[in-house]
Amino acid sequence: MEKTKQALLRHLNWILLGCALALFTVGEINLVSASGARLDAGFAQAGFYERQLIWGLIGLCCMTLTICFDYHKLLRFSWYLYGITLFLLILVPLIGTTVYGAKRWISVGAFSIQPSEVAKFALLLATAKFLSTRTETLGWKDFGLILLVAAPPLGLILKQPDLGSGLMLLFIVGGMVLFHGLKASILKVSALALPCIGAFMWFVGMHDYQRQRILTFLSPEADPLGSGYHILQSRIAIGSGQLWGKGFASGTQSQLRFLPERHSDFALAVFGEEWGYVGCVVLICLFVVFMMSILTTIIQSRDRFGTMLCVGVFFYFFAEISINMGMVVGLMPVVGIPLPFISYGGSATIVNFTLIGLVLGISMRRKKLHL
Amino acid sequence: MKFRRSDTPAASPLIRKKQEEYQPPKTGLILLQCLIILFFSVFTLRFYYLQILHGAEFSIQSQNNSWRNEYVSAPRGRILDLHGRILADNITSFGLSIVPDDVQDLNATLAQVSLWTAIPIGKIEERYKQERAKAKSFEPLLLISDISFDLVARIESELCYWPGLEIIVQGKRYYPEKDMFAHILGYVSVANEKELAKDSELILGDNIGKSGLELTMDKRLRGKKGVRNIEVDSSGHMVSSVTRTNPQIGSDLTMSIDRDLQEACWQALGGKVGSIVVMEPETGKIRAMVTEPAYDNNLFSGGILQKDWDELRNSPKFPLQNRAIQSTYPPGSVWKLIMAGCFMENGISPQETVFCPGYAKLGKQIFRCWKHSGHGSQNLEQALFNSCDVYFYLMAERVGISKISAYTAACGLGQPTGIDLPNERSGLAPSREWKQRRHKKSWTRGDTYNTSIGQGYTLTTPLQIAVQVAAILNGGKVLKPLLLEDDTPEVRHHVPASRQTLNQIIVAMRKTASGGTARVVGRKDADMGGKTGTAQVVKLDKNRAMNTLQAWKQKDHAWIATWGHKEDKTYVVVVMVEHGGGGSSVAGPVAASVYNFLFSDPRYYRAGAPSVPIYGPPLPPSMVRERQVQQLRLP
Repeated sequence: MEKTKQALLRHLNWILLGCALALFTVGEINLVSASGARLDAGFAQAGFYERQLIWGLIGLCCMTLTICFDYHKLLRFSWYLYGITLFLLILVPLIGTTVYGAKRWISVGAFSIQPSEVAKFALLLATAKFLSTRTETLGWKDFGLILLVAAPPLGLILKQPDLGSGLMLLFIVGGMVLFHGLKASILKVSALALPCIGAFMWFVGMHDYQRQRILTFLSPEADPLGSGYHILQSRIAIGSGQLWGKGFASGTQSQLRFLPERHSDFALAVFGEEWGYVGCVVLICLFVVFMMSILTTIIQSRDRFGTMLCVGVFFYFFAEISINMGMVVGLMPVVGIPLPFISYGGSATIVNFTLIGLVLGISMRRKKLHL
Repeated sequence: MKFRRSDTPAASPLIRKKQEEYQPPKTGLILLQCLIILFFSVFTLRFYYLQILHGAEFSIQSQNNSWRNEYVSAPRGRILDLHGRILADNITSFGLSIVPDDVQDLNATLAQVSLWTAIPIGKIEERYKQERAKAKSFEPLLLISDISFDLVARIESELCYWPGLEIIVQGKRYYPEKDMFAHILGYVSVANEKELAKDSELILGDNIGKSGLELTMDKRLRGKKGVRNIEVDSSGHMVSSVTRTNPQIGSDLTMSIDRDLQEACWQALGGKVGSIVVMEPETGKIRAMVTEPAYDNNLFSGGILQKDWDELRNSPKFPLQNRAIQSTYPPGSVWKLIMAGCFMENGISPQETVFCPGYAKLGKQIFRCWKHSGHGSQNLEQALFNSCDVYFYLMAERVGISKISAYTAACGLGQPTGIDLPNERSGLAPSREWKQRRHKKSWTRGDTYNTSIGQGYTLTTPLQIAVQVAAILNGGKVLKPLLLEDDTPEVRHHVPASRQTLNQIIVAMRKTASGGTARVVGRKDADMGGKTGTAQVVKLDKNRAMNTLQAWKQKDHAWIATWGHKEDKTYVVVVMVEHGGGGSSVAGPVAASVYNFLFSDPRYYRAGAPSVPIYGPPLPPSMVRERQVQQLRLP
């Protein structure tokens, strides 16, 4: 038994764990600066970094629990979870609370849950389970089944409206399907269909504010103090960091509060302003190593379900990182997706660490059958 | 375990074998690797683009975000009288402002303000509504301005119970002498768009001189604004500041005018419509310049109320006009002083006589002398003494209008004197060419007659007459009238007359003052000279019913041009009373009381006499100490 434990620990993806902890540390340091503000009376410090530390510790506990938990048992829950999620999503428009003109939350006593967050995990699990039962590349029938599974939660989320989460779902499911492999004909048809769906969404499916965001993204200068403000100020913050940055807690864009959402969605802009190009490249490399280490587990895995889960997690992170960074550097429209480990956010931190725990658990158990 | 599908992992050993053979799809792995490479390259390039290629631009933009230039206003220079007494000052005034957002109970607060200031609540509410419409709810609105120091102290102690109210301090121009110096000093107010466009030094909200010395000396008084850079946060609050240049205080101006003399002249005029000019003939320095009616130029500091402005502008007696320089009148007999010089320089001997029967005939027209019974035989001196019109009619015809207009033009008549005040009128010294140009009519001999006695087209300002009298005294130098004590005399023209000619005029004036029409100014203790004038105005039908204003406008203008010399000092005093009536009966006594003041006080007729003690208007207590320090360096 003792030997087994040692073997398990030996197989643990230490690089992934190290990367996650390193990213969290970078995020924590950045939050100290991002929650500060210079006033005429001196400095003011909001408590975001302290709370983030607590969330991180809770996240680490969740991660440890997830590592200990055998992921195969998830197979049993996956459809139940999917059902519950769907139920919650249907509840949202009925009893949800409205924040910023969108119904995304359900209040249960002192807590609020965001069903779209749960939906990401539920759909990840459902897709992983479905794909792990298919050995061949997907044909039209299976592709249709997956669309059938993915469509209800996706539709409900887009209806809320929550473009960010919808995009994430697409990334996760689409990524997993692509990884598994499709018949060439499906790819060809999809390639043709996508622009049509895009056009349909633009004219029928989108809310005005969503269209506005995309227009603003295309030309932020049209309204520099209104809708283009986020994008412009973020670009100015990052650009003015130049090669070496303005130094820790010395960014004027962030400290003087020109940068909005600087502790959450735009935390990367604070980092870019204060640490410069050098810091940004280091951070990008950290993210690359982080994703590569998930890829390592995918490669090493000899278990279909585990692999698919890892792929799902990979796409979860890849989507979050790419969308957030793309938005902050002005390559994508503004959608409310945080940067994993860098942005402040309690539930996001817990979810991130839990997903890491899932991958770590898979990496640990990959050779279990040979023992 | 209840897995139904055979290929679910980890179930039976049978499947295990299959499981071991499982390899993740190659294409999928390649896809993931490609994605990571794509991620890396896109973002390293994007950051390179933003931070390295365009970093400098964004750096400037971020500085523009947080750093602003702010001007620090420079105090405007003060204007002092000859002895350093303050005529234009900067004072701080206290006002009460209100921030609507911070007020808890608006009605109660306004009622309390009414209680403090004893201003009816209705007026305060009206003011509040008017200001509220212009500003946002978090901006302070000025509710009451010019609160007395005592009241400020009282309000201050109770202010803590009234959130939203604030005492504010404003800088303001203050003219302690009010009406007495209003026209000379002018006033300041906020620069308008046109002025802002013309002068790059000005920024919105700056005060600039709008009339009087405040306007002409604006550049000297204004000083130079300082610049400081302030760092602001996103809501515009200052976080830090760096001073770039300190403001330079505008320079103080010392005027040539003596405040006490000005006051004496003011009292001598006694509310009559008209003006007095007191000038030193050697230097051209103006020692007093009074015009009535006047206005309180403090009304303009900090924005004049529309009601006051309309009242000033629509007043039938034009209080905004500086009658010494901005009103022209026919000079009447005062003009004969100039004509006398012209005749003598154009071949007429002072001894030559003309017989005055009381009129002169020109074709069918009859030009009367003011004395209808006639003066009999008159030479030049007698003609000046008696102010005989017929002498001047006939001699002017002999000399001819061309020579007369050449002479008056050489004297600088018909042109502004060049005093440092805005909108000076040039008057009119008519000529043949002028009439042709202006009226498209040829000159008549009647015109020459009228011109010879200062009627007809002839128009002068009181200041022009003062300058001409000074020129007679100083040997023919037509000086620029100076308002600043440090200015150096400037000769603008030379009267084309010999010393001898001018002396003849001086002698005639002396005689006139001792026994002639100007004898009212005569004094035993001083050498005096003078010439009166009663200038006729265009008359309406005598039988028409007239209101008092119209009746007043029928009266003649009363002139007197005098000089006086006692011990070390010589003065020229010119008095003009608009529609006053007779020169000797109305203007004369005014001039006489000015001389009474001048020649009964040794400080005004002895050189090197001790100067007037320094005193000024009452100051707010906070400024007393500062002012004491400044006063030490005054002359």
